[in-house]
Amino acid sequence: MTTNPCPHEEAVTAAARSGDWSPELKAHRDGCLTCAELTLVVAALATDAEELAAIEAPLPDPAPIWFKAQLASRERDFRRATRAIVWVQRAAVAVTLAVGLAFVPGLWNLVKGAFTSLDLSSPVADLPRAAGSPLLVIVVSMLVLGGLALWELTAAQEN
Amino acid sequence: MALSLPRMQTTDLPGPAVTMDEAAFRHLYDRTARPLRAYLMRSCGDLALADDLLQEAYLRMLRSGFEGEDDDHRKNYLYRIATNLLRDHFRRKRPESDEVPERDESPGHDQAIHMRSDVGGAMAELAPRDRQMLWLAYVEGASHREIAKALGLRTASIRSMLFRARQRLVKQLQVRGLRPELEVS
Repeated sequence: MTTNPCPHEEAVTAAARSGDWSPELKAHRDGCLTCAELTLVVAALATDAEELAAIEAPLPDPAPIWFKAQLASRERDFRRATRAIVWVQRAAVAVTLAVGLAFVPGLWNLVKGAFTSLDLSSPVADLPRAAGSPLLVIVVSMLVLGGLALWELTAAQEN
Repeated sequence: MALSLPRMQTTDLPGPAVTMDEAAFRHLYDRTARPLRAYLMRSCGDLALADDLLQEAYLRMLRSGFEGEDDDHRKNYLYRIATNLLRDHFRRKRPESDEVPERDESPGHDQAIHMRSDVGGAMAELAPRDRQMLWLAYVEGASHREIAKALGLRTASIRSMLFRARQRLVKQLQVRGLRPELEVS
């Protein structure tokens, strides 16, 4: 009798699982405590596995698992499809900020000049000249578009 | 049938879409859910938790987009996921240690499952990792390399660890009156 790992363990395991014992292996097992214990463990666990597999509690319904996986899959597909749009929005925000910062001094002078040249006694006649400056229109438009892009981007991330 | 466990970490799954159709999924579920639940129940000792982990394992498999060569391959992948989920579960319960606990004494621990049979009672006395190792080796027929991958251990350590786990189980079985002499015909 031995109590150390035995070189026949693999063969004994296979035989214990299948029930297919050769006479030599059976003789070995009867004389080797390690292999006899191994046989006991394999048989005990096989019985235990059968009992647990036959437990009466119903299995969870697979339908919700499938449904959740489908939802997750669609969400992933949506994110992948809108990834390019999100990047364009980010780029638009970055460009708008950069341009806006570059024009801040000029814009300030422009606004200041427009309002100082404005004749308050006849506001209707001077307003188009101040508001109609091409640079002012471009900058204000970019700020508005940038704000919209930022808002879209934030909304997309929240979703 | 031996387990041929994939190398992918299930905690860091990629994001392709579900690849199998619903009929194939249901077929796989019908074929594998009961034995997988048995593995989970024997490992964690809690039917409700086992059912939760079972569903999570299938969900992760579907979300991973893992196709597998056949149902056996997919089944092996499921066991790998389930083993990772069990490990995560035990780690969450003992955040101060990466090791799984020696005994599972949480409130949800279902003694009814462990004590369902003498074998269940004996297994309940073992560490969760011993239970998983013994189950994968002797119920699922996994190789040492596959067990090592599933449990995050070194392959070279499995032989001796398995031997010691087996001895601990035999000791517990003997306490319950089950001895090798009685089983050997």
